[in-house]
Parts: sequence; C-alpha cells; structure tokens
Amino acid sequence: MITARPLLAASLALVTGIALAGCASSEAGAELEETAETVSFTWDRNVAGEDEDPQFETTTVEAPLDPDTIVVFDIAALDTIGALGGEVAGAPLENVPDYLQGYLADDAFNVGTLFEADLLEIEAQQPDLIIIGGRSTALYDDLSRIAPTVDLSLTGSYLDTLERNTLFLGAVLGVEEEAAVAVDELSAGIDEARAVAAEAGTGLGIMVSGGSLSALAPAGDGADARSARGGLIYDLFGVEPVVDDIASATHGEPISFEFLVEYDPDYLWVVDRDAAIGTEGAEAAAAVLDNDIVEQTTAFADDHIVYLDATAWYVVFGGIDTTRLMIDDVLQIAG
Amino acid sequence: MTAAAVAPTSAPAPTRPRRTWVGALIGASLAILAVVSLFVGVSDVSPAALLAGGSDGPAAFLLVSSRIPRTVAVILVGASLGIAGLIMQMLVRNRFVEPGTTGVTEFATLGMLVVMIFQPAMPVPGKMAVAAVFGLFGTWVFLRVIRAVPVRQLVLVPLVGIMLAGIVGSITAFFAYRLDLLQSLGQWAQGSFATVMAGRYEFVWIAGAMVVVAWFAADRFSVIGLGEEFAVNLGLDYRRVVAIGMVVIAVITAAVLVTAGMIPFLGLVVPNVVSIIIGDNVRRSIPWVAGLGAAFVLACDLIARTVRFPYEIPLSVVVGVVGAGLFLWLLLRKGSRAH
Repeated sequence: MITARPLLAASLALVTGIALAGCASSEAGAELEETAETVSFTWDRNVAGEDEDPQFETTTVEAPLDPDTIVVFDIAALDTIGALGGEVAGAPLENVPDYLQGYLADDAFNVGTLFEADLLEIEAQQPDLIIIGGRSTALYDDLSRIAPTVDLSLTGSYLDTLERNTLFLGAVLGVEEEAAVAVDELSAGIDEARAVAAEAGTGLGIMVSGGSLSALAPAGDGADARSARGGLIYDLFGVEPVVDDIASATHGEPISFEFLVEYDPDYLWVVDRDAAIGTEGAEAAAAVLDNDIVEQTTAFADDHIVYLDATAWYVVFGGIDTTRLMIDDVLQIAG
Repeated sequence: MTAAAVAPTSAPAPTRPRRTWVGALIGASLAILAVVSLFVGVSDVSPAALLAGGSDGPAAFLLVSSRIPRTVAVILVGASLGIAGLIMQMLVRNRFVEPGTTGVTEFATLGMLVVMIFQPAMPVPGKMAVAAVFGLFGTWVFLRVIRAVPVRQLVLVPLVGIMLAGIVGSITAFFAYRLDLLQSLGQWAQGSFATVMAGRYEFVWIAGAMVVVAWFAADRFSVIGLGEEFAVNLGLDYRRVVAIGMVVIAVITAAVLVTAGMIPFLGLVVPNVVSIIIGDNVRRSIPWVAGLGAAFVLACDLIARTVRFPYEIPLSVVVGVVGAGLFLWLLLRKGSRAH
C-alpha cells in the first residue's frame, strides 16, 4: 500500500496530463514550411508542469533538413523514420521493440528511458534533431538546449497525427513523396479494416494485466489523445462498442469475468499488457482467459477472441509499421 | 500438552462483559452479507433465475463458478487478515501494528517482484511460497528491530514498522521501476476480487487453515501478549510460540497477496474494535475478529461491486476509505485504551 499509492497518483496525473494536452491542442495542425535548410514545425506546447493545468504556448522549431544524428524518445517516430528509409542514432534502447530494432543505427546509443534523459550522453553525441512525444514531452526544456527538439505527441485524431508526423518526418528526411504514399496507403488500409470491423458486430476491448481484466474505452466525441492504445479499436477502426459508457481512461475500468458473459460481445479484442512491456513468461492473457466462465461467451464459442499485437497497440501506436500491424490485426478476422 | 496449555488465561481486563448479543449481531450480518454477495454481480443470478434455469442453467453455473468462490474468498481473506493483525499485536504487545504497517506485506511484495524478475512463469503456489518466505523474513526483521528500540513507546513501535515498510517498499519500487514492472506489480498488489473464480482463489484456504492454527494456539498468544518474562515464568516455550505466530502471519499475508492483493487497515482496525467490545483474551476474541473481519470485507467488496456497476472499483480503495475512518475514530475516541 505504501508504495502503491504515490505511484498510482503519479501515473494518474501523468495520464491526465497527456489527455489534457491532447484535448487543448487538437486544433493545431502542423504547418510545414520548407526552406533551403530547415523544415519549420509548429505545435502547441504544454509549458505547465505535470499536475498543473495545461498551459499552451505555440512553439515553432526549425528542424534541419537531412540531419545526420537524430535522437528519438518517441518510439512511433523511430518507426516512421525507419520505414521512410532513415536511421536513428540514439533512442531509449530498452524501450525499442524487436520489430523496430533494424531502424536503429548499428552504433546507436542509449538516451535514457521514456521519462528520463541521459543529458550528458546526448550532449556528447551532438545531435542535429531530437524528437519527443507522449511520455517524454516533459523533457522539452532540457533537450531543446542541446538541439532543435520537436514534440510529435498525439494531438487531434490518430489519423491526423499520423499524417502530420509522417509528412513532417518525410520533409525532414527529404522523402516527401514516399511519406505521402505511406499516408495514403495507411488511410486505405484503415478504411479496409474499418469495413471489415463494421461487419463484425459488437466488440469489447479488454486489457489483461497481472491476472486482472479491464474494459478499454472509446474516446467518444472528443477523439483526442485518449483514443490511443486499446481505445483505437473503436475510435480508429470503428468497432461498435458493446457498452458505451466506459470511462475514458487509458487503462480502462476493472471488470470481472462475469462482465464478459453478461455483455457478451461478438468480438473480444485483447491487449496483453504484460506481453506489451516484455514480462516474458508472465501469465499470458490467453491463460487468464482460459477458464469456464469465458467459455460461456459468444466470442469464445465463435473463436472470436482476437489477441492484438500488444506492443503496437499499447506501447508504440502512431508509426508507419506499427499502424500496418494494427491494420493486420483487425483484418485477420476477415479470414 | 505442556503446562502452558493450561496456563491462566485471564485477560488484562478480566471482568469485561460477554456482550453475546454483539457477537450474534456480527454473526447475523455476516450471514446476510454472504447471501447478498451470492446474488450481487453483473449477471442475473437471483433465486428466481436459479429456479427457472435449474441445476444446469446459466445462473447455477455462475453461482458455482463465480459467486460462491468470490464470497468464500472474501470471507477467508477478511477473517484471516483480522487474525494476522490480532496475532501480530499480541507478539509485539502493541495495538497499532498489523502486517501492513510493519513491513511484512512489503517484504512479501518484494518476494512477488523477485518471482516476476527471475521466474515469471512460476505457478501460483510457488509465487505464494516465495512471498511467504519473504513475509516470514520480514516479520523476523521487524521483531528484531523492535527489540533493539530502547524506548518501547506505544507510538514508536508502529512508526518503526512504517519506516521499515517504507524502506522495503522503496527498494521494491526502485527495482520494479528499473525493470518496467511497476504496473504489473501494482496490478498484483491492488486489492480486488474482480477476477476471483473457481480455480483462481483456492490458495486462500491455506490462509483459512492458519486461522485454525491460530485458534489452537490462542491461549499461548494471550500469554505472549503479557510479555516475554511473564510467559517464560509460566513455563511457556516463548520462542516456539513466537515462531508459530510468525508463520501464521507470513502465510496469511502471502496467500491474501497472491489472491486478492493488499488490503489496508483491516488487521489494525478489526482486532481493536473487538478488543474494545470484549477485551484481550485471544481465545475469546478469535471468532469475533474472524467474523467481524469477514463481514467488513464482504461489505466493502459489495460496495466495490456496485458503486460503478457494471464495472468494479478496487476493493483496496473502499477498505482504505472505510478503514481510515474507523482508524481515526479509534485514535480519537474518548478514553481510548490505545492511547
């Protein structure tokens, strides 16, 4: 109890901060302005500290064209840079999932964790561009003293952010056309997946962690940063939620196994959190769901329990390869 | 049986009334809450649905696989945590200790973390065993530290315990943070019965068995509660009884931790309330503590199930709020013997 309380409070504050940051800046589209040497990136930066009411300051950063050394704290940006043919020199190495390891430079250095920057190491490497987002937004002040720093956090809808970030990174890397093609391809893929999901009846996104279940929430009308993670199953792919009043919280609401029987969605979309964060061999979601009560559900009877790529849906979300993985996860129900 | 078994069992306040009617009240509310618990949940499991569906119907199925296990688990957890608190208070001779305020729970959690790091695939019995060993070590460390505290002031003992818990808790948090296990650990440690069902709760029976052990050794714990010198003079094997108490506390803590998570205040509040009502004779108070603990957790679990229906809120939140209120009342009430 003594350890759990402050941690819970801290994580709640963090989640709220991210959600609020997303809300207020959702109108700010990116205005890309390219000059001979730089791409200008403008966004509403939350300058209030964690636990404070968000206070936004429109920030413009001139990102250098074709930078040699890119440092990335936002894993989705690592994904997009790599998928567009670029390479990342520094990243929080422990947080890079296997499927994105190839996008790191061979001698990639560790920049710290998602929350904590190894400023001395970063300074020593003299990066040309630093990219933060989501969990690492608070690092802006420190990092921007070292090099031009842009924040690619989710703002507005998932698709808007994906498009904004992909086009920006495409411009920086000098591959605007490829970036535009990727955006079109992903939009088409998402449309295809939406069509499949629309046929699939009702769905419920659940997260399994430490043997407990929680129901994931659609973001509802204000499709903002909260729509990230498991909620994307409703917000991005249009799955019809079997219950529509789940509170919008990134970690959902605790439910019992009985809940699954009673609401009995046609499809159960499962995010296995322990798998997402690499708790190898932890009681897998499949083992938790392998029980007499779950066997009573329609989703079980019809073999409609879909295990989502937990890393993509829970940890990264937002990059090119990751979005492809998510599209494939939904398309697999088309059989 | 040694002479200790028939040692005088007079409690510090020997003339306290029997208050049988309060005991009957606790028993009755326990029975009512248990029945209500069987019929409250997301799905429709009412007596009518049971009759309509017959013995093979969905209601009967959920009753057997979900409601009965949950109710039994809640009762066993409530009863055994109360007992763990009671015994801890006797061992330390202090009214303000329980496994959660002395570092025992934190040590058991550290054990859980060690399992998560080195043997994450370990089946639940193994997890529980490791947690119990760590809990046992934690109890031992606490008792050693308390012995070394020169002034055994009433408030100093729990303060030392809370500091010890804080140190162990921060070590756990540090490694969990470094290894990205904070949230998984949080999920384990957060007290909740939401996913309790047949096949996922059986280890709390071990905690229940510890209650029986405690019952058999009850008189000895009463004597221990009078102090080491007193107990030895009466011919009691002091060390052995303390060892039994430590095992009971550690096993209960571990079994509850792996099944339901941390449940704060219970071990503190329930024995104190019982002591106010009927005094400090352990043999007399064990059924009271067990019954009141079970009824308390049942009531809190019902709140946890219904406040955000059909979702649940963590039980530890409910117990924390109610328990903290009761704890303050214990501290502030007039003429409190705990002062």
